[in-house]
Amino acid sequence: MKNNKTVKAKKVLAQQANNYGVISFERKRNVEGLIFVIPWIIGFIWFVLVPLVLSVRISFFKTTLADLYGGSFIGFNNYMEVIKNPQYGEVIVNSFLNSLYQVPVVVGFSLFVAVLLKQKFPGRTIFRVIFFIPVILAGVIMTYLFQQDVGSVSVFSSLLSEATDNNMLAMIFGGGLSSQIGSIMWKSSVEILIFLAALQSVPDILYEVVELDGATAWESFWHITLPYISPFVILNAVYALVDSFVDSSNPVMGLMNSLTNGSNGEAYYGMASALSWMYMLMALITILVFVLLTRRWLK
Amino acid sequence: MSKAINFFKGLAAKYQNLGFKAKKKIKFVIGRIALYYVLIELAFLFVLPFVYMLSTSCMSSDDYLDPTIQYIPSAIQWSNFTKAWEALNYPSAFFQTMFTSLASAVLQTVFCALAGYALGRYKTKWRNILFVLTILVLLIPPQTTILSAYGMFVKMKMINTVLPIVLPCLFGLGLRGALFVMIYMYFFQRIPDAMDDAARIDGAGPARVFFQIMLPLVRSAMIITFIFSFVWHWNDNNETTTYMYHSSVMTLQPRLQNISQYYSELLGLQDSVTAQDKALTEPMLFAGCMLVMIPVLIVYVIGQKKLVAGIERMGVIE
Repeated sequence: MKNNKTVKAKKVLAQQANNYGVISFERKRNVEGLIFVIPWIIGFIWFVLVPLVLSVRISFFKTTLADLYGGSFIGFNNYMEVIKNPQYGEVIVNSFLNSLYQVPVVVGFSLFVAVLLKQKFPGRTIFRVIFFIPVILAGVIMTYLFQQDVGSVSVFSSLLSEATDNNMLAMIFGGGLSSQIGSIMWKSSVEILIFLAALQSVPDILYEVVELDGATAWESFWHITLPYISPFVILNAVYALVDSFVDSSNPVMGLMNSLTNGSNGEAYYGMASALSWMYMLMALITILVFVLLTRRWLK
Repeated sequence: MSKAINFFKGLAAKYQNLGFKAKKKIKFVIGRIALYYVLIELAFLFVLPFVYMLSTSCMSSDDYLDPTIQYIPSAIQWSNFTKAWEALNYPSAFFQTMFTSLASAVLQTVFCALAGYALGRYKTKWRNILFVLTILVLLIPPQTTILSAYGMFVKMKMINTVLPIVLPCLFGLGLRGALFVMIYMYFFQRIPDAMDDAARIDGAGPARVFFQIMLPLVRSAMIITFIFSFVWHWNDNNETTTYMYHSSVMTLQPRLQNISQYYSELLGLQDSVTAQDKALTEPMLFAGCMLVMIPVLIVYVIGQKKLVAGIERMGVIE
């Protein structure tokens, strides 16, 4: 039996040697690509997968803070409890609907600003800095700004509403969206910089050619710029989706916090973990569907 | 009304009679005015919190309480900054933060490029699986895994060193490493196949193709990865408070978090709850915020200057 196998293997090897040039080249490329990505795979297993498995484990146990990795095995009970509770379903659906209208606004706005900031004009550096301020101020500074209480209104939110109320955007959009447009714009700094980098790498020569042919700026945007940076529209949409899913202002994140910090009388780590896993899976599927649907547009 | 219409009609007629150059100039001027108008209108929202921070950091506590003073303090209170400097233990914390952020940023810029290169240019079966994994990594909030990761780093005796933060960067992961891998992937994908085919025919090996042909073509991606990585590591509070909590290695952000407590103890306040107490500490707090953010601002200004058109030829000229 064993002998038989080695003979087979030898045959296969011989065949591959015969086909040298076709299979071997592709194989070589495959191995090459794997070598480039091997560090990442090792890192993924070491720093992501191992801690992740532990976190999945928690979701199948009745865990308390006292012994996080102990507790009794209860199978899918945590998951069932999340599914049965209508409140959770509602919150998850709401957060998905939120992302549904936030993402196009973020991507559209950031593309618009990036196109403006790509132009050469005096004071460009200042404007580039200004539109990056949300990233620079992130972290502890941001929480301090949010804490600024004067009476009952936080200074930061009043700044936002003040800014949007007197803003032409509010005049255009009006109503519900305008109350949120400030915070949505505030979130698009990362996307602006990604678009800016993408725009910078469009070869200048293409613009020169279409300008000679008499194209207006508007036409060259639709026929040169947009097709050229379309992968980055996808990338930014994916990032905006992720951002809206894991944002701390997201209702699901708030729900998870309330489950773990014990404000409901007890800390339900198992349930929080189960909820986060189901939520993450749904988010992943949403993003993959989006990527698959837009793949055709890329080519 | 008809006068106004006639006036505009006259203007239009004059515009029609102008030469090509003059028309272009008028278009240019109108475009510039529109550009500045839109940018200033939008920038207003972004700049206000910063202005609030700047003005508060320069106020004395009397100014802070005075309702007639909104943004412009009566005099710049420099002592806010010197006190914040001491409270943050600025020089040592600065170098600690700088080292952590710089090392992480450099490593992520190089090693995320490796993974992004494999994902973007080698069209094989495992590519799709890796792409899904990348999105998964991006989706997992760091809080989910930080508890078990902490246990792991304790076992490896890496707590209170920079290693728990820098080591994942060496493997193309780390703080939002997955996003950088994706950025690189899309940038590499767009380079025509002819570029590396040509190099390969000339006898260049895979390492040489990557470093000498491909990396220079994605300079924009390298620049933004470096900027993002540096700024996010500088501003990170979640990882640094977990892994580097000893006062000898503490970075700026956790120190900033403790700063109001420091002031309350310094001034002998109980809990800074009343407006009076707040007025004593708040300006210093924002002076501290200014000190923390200025280095990032400088790095960003220098970095974005490198982001100019035409640094990547993309094989169009050849």
